[in-house]
Amino acid sequence: MHAPSNTGLGVGASLLRKEDARHLHGRGQFVSDVKLANTQDVAFVRSPHAHARIKTITIPPDAEGRIFTARDLPRLAEMRAVPQVNGFKVSGYPPLATHKVRYVGDAIAACIAPTRAEAEDLANSVSVDFEVLPAVIDAAAAITKTPSLVHESWGNNLFIERVFQEGNLDEVARTAEVVVRRTYRMNRHVAVPLEGRAVLAYRDHRLDELVVYTSTQVPHIIRLGLSEVLGLDERNIRVIAPDVGGGFGSKARLSPEEAAVAALALEVDHPVRWVEDRGEHFLASTHTRDHHYRVTAYADPRGRVLGIDVELIVDGGAYAMWPNGPFLETGMAARNLPGPYNIRNYRVKTYTVATNKSPIGPYRGVGRPGACFAIERTIDEVARAVGRDPAEVRMDNMVTSAQMPYTTIANLKFDSGDYPAAVKLCAEAIDLPAVRARQQRGEPDGRLIGVGFACYSEQTGHGCGEWVSRGSPFIPGYESCTAQLMPDGTLMLLVGIQSHGQGLETTLAQIAHEELGIDPAKISVRHGDTGVSPFGMGTIASRSIVMAGGAVAHTSRLLREKILKIGAHLLQCDPGDVRCAGGKVVGRSGAVGMDEVARVAHLRMEALPQGVEPLLTVTSTYQPGIDTGVYSYATHAAVVAVDPATGLVELLDFAVAEDCGTMINPMIVEGQVRGGVVQGIGTALYEEIPYDEQGQPLAGTLADYLVPGAAEMPAIKIVHLHTPTPYTEYGVKGMGEGGAIAPPAAIANAVRDALAPLGAEVNETPLTPRRVLAAIRQAQANR
Amino acid sequence: MTRIRMRVNGKAVVDDVPPRLSLADFLRERRNLTGTHLGCEHGVCGACTILVDGEPVRACLAFAVACDERDVRTIEGFADDRVMTALRQAFHQHHGLQCGFCTPGMLITARDLIRRNRAGSEKEIRKELAGNICRCTGYTNIVAAISAAAAALAGGEETDAGGTQHKATV
Amino acid sequence: MKPAAFEYVRPKSLGEAVGILSAAAGDAQVEAQVMAGGQSLVAMMNLRVAAPDLLIDIARLDELRAVSETSDHVVLGACVTHAAIEDRLVPDPSRGLMPDVAANLAYRAVRTRGTLGGSLALSDPAADWPTVMAALAAQVILRGPGGERSVDAVDFATGVYETVRGADEIIASIRIPKLSPGARWGYAKFCRKSGEFANSIAAAVRDPDRDYARLVLGAVNGPPLVLERTSSLLLAGHGEDCRQAITEDLQGLDFDDFQASLHGAMASRAVGQVLT
Repeated sequence: MHAPSNTGLGVGASLLRKEDARHLHGRGQFVSDVKLANTQDVAFVRSPHAHARIKTITIPPDAEGRIFTARDLPRLAEMRAVPQVNGFKVSGYPPLATHKVRYVGDAIAACIAPTRAEAEDLANSVSVDFEVLPAVIDAAAAITKTPSLVHESWGNNLFIERVFQEGNLDEVARTAEVVVRRTYRMNRHVAVPLEGRAVLAYRDHRLDELVVYTSTQVPHIIRLGLSEVLGLDERNIRVIAPDVGGGFGSKARLSPEEAAVAALALEVDHPVRWVEDRGEHFLASTHTRDHHYRVTAYADPRGRVLGIDVELIVDGGAYAMWPNGPFLETGMAARNLPGPYNIRNYRVKTYTVATNKSPIGPYRGVGRPGACFAIERTIDEVARAVGRDPAEVRMDNMVTSAQMPYTTIANLKFDSGDYPAAVKLCAEAIDLPAVRARQQRGEPDGRLIGVGFACYSEQTGHGCGEWVSRGSPFIPGYESCTAQLMPDGTLMLLVGIQSHGQGLETTLAQIAHEELGIDPAKISVRHGDTGVSPFGMGTIASRSIVMAGGAVAHTSRLLREKILKIGAHLLQCDPGDVRCAGGKVVGRSGAVGMDEVARVAHLRMEALPQGVEPLLTVTSTYQPGIDTGVYSYATHAAVVAVDPATGLVELLDFAVAEDCGTMINPMIVEGQVRGGVVQGIGTALYEEIPYDEQGQPLAGTLADYLVPGAAEMPAIKIVHLHTPTPYTEYGVKGMGEGGAIAPPAAIANAVRDALAPLGAEVNETPLTPRRVLAAIRQAQANR
Repeated sequence: MTRIRMRVNGKAVVDDVPPRLSLADFLRERRNLTGTHLGCEHGVCGACTILVDGEPVRACLAFAVACDERDVRTIEGFADDRVMTALRQAFHQHHGLQCGFCTPGMLITARDLIRRNRAGSEKEIRKELAGNICRCTGYTNIVAAISAAAAALAGGEETDAGGTQHKATV
Repeated sequence: MKPAAFEYVRPKSLGEAVGILSAAAGDAQVEAQVMAGGQSLVAMMNLRVAAPDLLIDIARLDELRAVSETSDHVVLGACVTHAAIEDRLVPDPSRGLMPDVAANLAYRAVRTRGTLGGSLALSDPAADWPTVMAALAAQVILRGPGGERSVDAVDFATGVYETVRGADEIIASIRIPKLSPGARWGYAKFCRKSGEFANSIAAAVRDPDRDYARLVLGAVNGPPLVLERTSSLLLAGHGEDCRQAITEDLQGLDFDDFQASLHGAMASRAVGQVLT
């Protein structure tokens, strides 16, 4: 196992971020900040209908050459997501609608003008004659009733139906003494990164290259996607993600606008730019969550859960996003439903439904927040059914550290961790006895206090075998790094991930420092640019620190070998007697600077040792020591005050006890936890995009789709456990998504606890005042 | 087109603009000051917050023509500002930014609330930040940074580089 | 989201502004819109839900930012900003109610530009000022081509985004009677998130020295609503009966259960603040 260098700059240091300087001075460069001469702006004509056939498109005559429909871009092929999943129905997603539109916001034509305002004028001048079709909006109903087909060739509106079953659930159902049945709903979200999507594309004639700046998390994958839909060689495409203002998964898919704008750049003689506005973001960016659960849990009188039987419906929207499609969401939810618990009998019937809504894609936590909501609410109800404390029942059901490694009933292989310890630590952090005492005392303003817990285990850094078994078309089981020592001894790290807030420009430099002793201030991390970095799979799935961190460590060590050979030669001693430290190669009797070593390798080759070639550039890839992932985990606790007169839920306190193994930079880890938790609170209390029966979305601005603001958020307490995993460099585990997984469940459990005297529960997110009051009223009516 | 004159970050500028050009787009597209970001264009997210005549304003809700003769200050224009310098240090030390998109608007709002003596408590700071959305940090560190900067500045006179005392204009 | 094109004019006096507006009102081809702070209007224009042909910018008219004060009332120019009221840079006739409301309205960057008159002219049902001005029995002074007229604030709004303001009139000022030293007020508003539009607003004022009390509900999807029965009991000081009176006042109105609960809760809170 690795022993940290203790320079205060390497693994484990809360090093302040290298990326801060430019942002603090307003000198970040997001796509819309990139200035290219003669750029024109694009606005899209978008469908006002959820489901309609396009009869005619009428373009005013003086707009010829400035408005492009699918017909005007014949080289632009449709996007086809083809996961290797049996039974998944494939369909094409045309970037510009051909004969049909399938959701409100579906792009029909692209309009180009010198300014965005003029492009919008152009878009408004286009008239489209539609034959409106019945919209498929109710996902649950759409399983059996088919008023119309989203995709005509399918025969029904199911992307895929899948049952997973293990153990002997029927036997358990027959004999269990405690049965708890609930339905849960997590409503549809939009990701709302503060920077929307943006694309700027142009042809570089000198390099014979299409250059596409795009606000994406996965530049190499976008390059691949564009080469497919445009019929171009990948060597003739360069994708650059400059600064990206948040992504959270919503920028990890090829978007129709990326494809269309890239295609436009091949048709005109100037750069073209599309900057998503917030209205478009609500309509046409990847939607997410939208799960419906029916759960039956079977338990013994102590609350030991013997089996769970689940029906899960995921509303997948109108199209499968490239490359993975919506089953990723369903599959992850299904596999994570048993949670961190030792449940050995499980059945889940899943339906991934196509509807006339915006397509869904990944968003922090992906299927897990929904699954966590379902199982954690259920554990609480089992505890209440048997008259025991929910925290105690959790711990009794949990997989223990003695059982590690533990393969769950859904084939997730937990590698290490002490799940019950996190529950205990979290209860301490929230000061459970004090909360209970306050609850007993009662509030002078009549509000009801409640505390709720939720736990999860998060698969991160999973590799080849795992992705293959999921049927993923691309296997992100490795990452790459090129480490390049410059002639002056400073270091460049070229990586295939894309940091969009996670601080990887800092943490990866810390890792290189750990291996090479070079000051992070002398290390530059380059990411996001396919023209610069070796092929990589991008930043998704909480993989970057495991995969890219591992790649940097591995590549740095290979580079170190060569540096030490040269340094030893210059010091006239044995390579075994020197090490890298403090920016030098240090031997017993002297040291030589990294700059001297680099100079020799580039400029003074005559001083190189026998058999060592010039240059100090190494490229290598890294895979973790295990394919099945390394599992970070946490328990969250929420304390709420519920106003029974208005249904308003106030968060009084929130605590997280988490374990992500070794933390490269604890400050950054805590930042990820808090950011995730607040997004989870958004899910719990604020965020949903409802639809009317005609398929019109009913939230289109930040005034009706609420995201958490500073005034309502508690200060979030964090305590850490440390279980380094043996399978990664330094024992790190990914953790970026975890914060968003448990808050909806913790808060719903807290509300349940607060309203227990009234017998009310809310099993749908967001827990709006309207829903809370309705639940109270319902409970009163039931009495 | 309408001719407008403005001071932007202390420099006189003259330009001809269509009436519908927002102040944000004027700054970003015509003055190449891209530090002011657009996150919603309906006044909610706060990413476009700048100063006009010393007061925070949503650049997305102002037309450039309506800001004729005004004194505009963007994130690029606080080089020698004591409060902004303290805030920048504090945001850096307290990890008060992640993707950086909200940061310019957040800093300008933070500077204004410190100058109006609204950094007295965590609760007060949080309320003053209601108009600046951050999707990445969860706000905890931003609040800590503002609190720390205010504490570091306390005891000194809070004036800008030009020596003018702040007051809201009627 | 960029606005549709428009012509922009910045008149140098209120009279000139009224003249331009009046001419446009008579011209079917020209839709003119007055802009003060623009905090609501420009957002609507960005979304293209408002697309005037002519924008008349009155924000800089000194006469619209003038304030005056007598022994029994304060007159605030229509373009006095929420921030000026919040910062108490203008006389406060309401013994702290108006600065309190202003401080909790939207966000500071919106308050530095948004105006009292603009808020009343737009009459967004979820805005604060229409309800508060009705509770204070203020008067809205309108200037038209024929001169000035005064309308009680409680009668000014007739519906959602609808007021009695004529197409050729501009709000010039708001005249607010001063509360007596012994007066008390209460203000409660229900927002899920600080700064967003309210789902329920209640403003209560009790000024027995002037024989005046009024409880007004806002965010009722219509003009501000005076709860008459409760207002009478409030004046009489009968706190215990107010709860029942609120329920009676709300009966028969077009609220679903949730809305009725909210309005009842806010009204009770506002009354409670007055009578403690």
